[in-house]
Amino acid sequence: MKKEDLLRRLRRHTIQQFDMPETAVKGITYPDVARQFIETSKNVGCKVIEAKETDDLNAIIRQAYPDAQVFASNVKGIQADRNPDTVAEAQELNGTDVGIVEGQVAVAENGCVWVPQTMKERVVCFVSEQLVILVRRRRIVNNMHEAYSRIQMTDYGYGCFISGPSKTADIEQALVMGAQAARGVTVILIG
Amino acid sequence: MSTYHSKRAKEFLKNPEEKISRHDQTFWSVRQKRDAAAAQLPEWENLREQASRIKAHTVTHLADYLEQFTTNLEKNGVIVHFAKDAQEFNEIAYGILETHKVRKLVKSKSMLTEECGLNPYLMERGIDVVESDLGERILQLMHLKPAHIVMPAIHLTRDEVGEMFEEKGISKEIGNHDPTYLTYCARQNLRKDFMDADAGMTGCNFGVAATGDCVVCTNEGNADMSTSVPKLHIVAMGLEKVIPDYASLAVFHRLLSRSGTGQPATSFTSHFRRARPGAEMHVILVDNGRSDITANTAHWETLKCIRCGACMNTCPVYRRSGGYSYSYFIPGPIGVNLSMLKDPKKHSGNVSACSLCLSCDCVCPAKVTPGSQIYRWRQSLETYGTENKEKKVMAEGMKAVYENYPVYDALLRNSSVANYIPEAWADTSLNPWSIGHTMPRFARKPFHALFKQAMEELKNGK
Amino acid sequence: MRVGLFIPCYVDALYPQVGVATYRLLRKLKLNVVYPERQTCCGQPMANGGFERMSEHLAERFEDKFRDFDYVVTPSVSCAAFVRVNYPQILDHACQTPEKTMELVEFLHDILKVRELPGSFPHVVSVHNSCHGVRELGLSSPSELQIKPFNKIVDLLRLKDGITVKEPDRKDECCGFGGMFAVEEPYVSSRMGNDKVKAHMATGAEIVTGSDCSCLMHMQGVAARQKYPVKFMHVAEILAAGL
Repeated sequence: MKKEDLLRRLRRHTIQQFDMPETAVKGITYPDVARQFIETSKNVGCKVIEAKETDDLNAIIRQAYPDAQVFASNVKGIQADRNPDTVAEAQELNGTDVGIVEGQVAVAENGCVWVPQTMKERVVCFVSEQLVILVRRRRIVNNMHEAYSRIQMTDYGYGCFISGPSKTADIEQALVMGAQAARGVTVILIG
Repeated sequence: MSTYHSKRAKEFLKNPEEKISRHDQTFWSVRQKRDAAAAQLPEWENLREQASRIKAHTVTHLADYLEQFTTNLEKNGVIVHFAKDAQEFNEIAYGILETHKVRKLVKSKSMLTEECGLNPYLMERGIDVVESDLGERILQLMHLKPAHIVMPAIHLTRDEVGEMFEEKGISKEIGNHDPTYLTYCARQNLRKDFMDADAGMTGCNFGVAATGDCVVCTNEGNADMSTSVPKLHIVAMGLEKVIPDYASLAVFHRLLSRSGTGQPATSFTSHFRRARPGAEMHVILVDNGRSDITANTAHWETLKCIRCGACMNTCPVYRRSGGYSYSYFIPGPIGVNLSMLKDPKKHSGNVSACSLCLSCDCVCPAKVTPGSQIYRWRQSLETYGTENKEKKVMAEGMKAVYENYPVYDALLRNSSVANYIPEAWADTSLNPWSIGHTMPRFARKPFHALFKQAMEELKNGK
Repeated sequence: MRVGLFIPCYVDALYPQVGVATYRLLRKLKLNVVYPERQTCCGQPMANGGFERMSEHLAERFEDKFRDFDYVVTPSVSCAAFVRVNYPQILDHACQTPEKTMELVEFLHDILKVRELPGSFPHVVSVHNSCHGVRELGLSSPSELQIKPFNKIVDLLRLKDGITVKEPDRKDECCGFGGMFAVEEPYVSSRMGNDKVKAHMATGAEIVTGSDCSCLMHMQGVAARQKYPVKFMHVAEILAAGL
């Protein structure tokens, strides 16, 4: 079907038209967004570690996952065994124990962290058994209205709000962490 | 008297008591989670009103937004297709896969592909189609249809899933039907498919006109797994999924998962704007009757639906009859409506599945008012010749009595005689009321006779 | 204030005592209550079953009979809701009864603003919130909506001395009557009814009360079939007790 035919048909069929609402909804705000973000994150099954600017992130990550063997990241200063920028194919990242990526905006109301694609193979965000997201404390916002007015898309043209680990309740409504993507998520709040 | 739904519901209600009450309780607990999530937001009712108005605006300006959306998609290098109907959609999808010599396709959840019957179409043509949402995967392996749009396999028991996994060799520990274990087995099993699939297909919860983003919400992360490895990503999207911009998206995002599962957000809200390096991205926009709905003055608002499933969870009839009691692949209140829009003659048998309690109208995040619309569908059944003939005879009988006062009066004054009919005589085929009830007892004198008598006594100074 | 009393067909036939209680209550509140003769049905059963066209004549008649009153009061939620919500679209002319027709509880609560009632009712009752009362007339806050909770039936019942008022779990889930729904979907309907009666009984109540006799009739029929030890009374009967 041609696009023009469809659009003509739709225009012909539209009987009455409605305007966009003029005012926006005022979203919930919290007295302490960081505290709220931490609480919500825990509720969605996510761990949060608060770190100072001067802390050694590599040490924190190694301490959080003492048994992990294979780390993957392209974040500057993060020690990793695999680099999603330099692997030839996405498949090479399968078997990663811990993937470490950067988040841009964190949302207090629902524990979402905006992770734009900043690496060639974004599969690192999903294929890793455990995912670590680094995000600046000052990037926490109250709600999705604020979040969507702030997020930026990179040239890769992909980004994802991640709120805790991959989960499912498809068998008898029993909540299970780790369906197809990361089985655990740790957000490190920096600053 | 029996409609399609009532017959199927009767069968469902022959299940063991425990299974029936578990079904009801499962979906009611989701409704309760939804209530709790909504209660967290003081602006909840404003959000619903805003969502309703944004959708009303968008679906009545659909051509404009689709134009903007496709322009942006193409600007981002995405290849856009338009499908008039299911057949065209399947052909386009297969065409793309064939061009790329795809042998294996991994899919994340898409009710649109269910609507179009894509899976059998592709499988007949030799493509290995793998559903990657756990619920969908279970159903695919069991050759079953979804019984709910968000929790498609929740009606099955862990034992049913566990036994099937054992049979297919997906789980190794025989008799271990723990959902955590079974989920882990499915994870390992599907991981192989993600790694060697040639293409990934996703649905689309929202198409953002201003940016060209295709937004997909999942909890499992399977949409991302499906599209981050293969070199081809196909998005299947109904026309009505387009929304204006990020500000609108924020409103729907906040409502969708809270309404559907009671979560503040799904674990993943993925924004696909362009193909990943070295890959190709296609979007197939499907009409399949949607452009006709825009012209339907009584039912155009069904296009506002964001497919959260809240109307099913709250529906007391759905919870007590199950998704398979409806003749359409989408069950529950919204399903009754969509089935009538699809083919009223074929699906009139679902219209009885509503007590008009209107809970769905109040729970719907986009104010689609599915319950109120079922009332309207009932009024139109006569035009399709699908009205319940016995019910019509009953209604005509009632009308005749109510419109003729002397008859009404005589009937009521003598109706208490009916109290003497023994219960055992009640024939359930002629009198469905007696299936679950004893008969109500008529008063010896109706109110209007008592009242008249009292007035006369007053007048006569008694 | 001239009040027209509308006693719907099935109340007339099955529950005349509810009509009597309503009348007594309104008279006790010093109202000029008139019961227009030769009234039958508002037309709801046919319309909910899908035959709204069969309700037109009855709607016209209702409009004729009750147009000149200040208020039309009826002890039936779904009939009041039908007149208010559906008449404007059924009658193809301007009509007055939709805005004048009130269900008894809302009339007492909102118009007369009754804040005290004599008489005691020393029983435990469970309130049945009928769907159309909740979601069309606003007798109580629908559980789906995030608004300040209220319940006008509970408010009025609490005016009686000695009463204990409860609400069931899933306080406004449908009992499964739904007019012709009960005969077209008898299995689902009676299942819903059974679940609902059990929820009412779980509150420990001796009596289930509500302001719609049709829901009560349905539940009463289910309860009698199951031999449940629970009674059913219309709100009007309780409010009129001991007057």
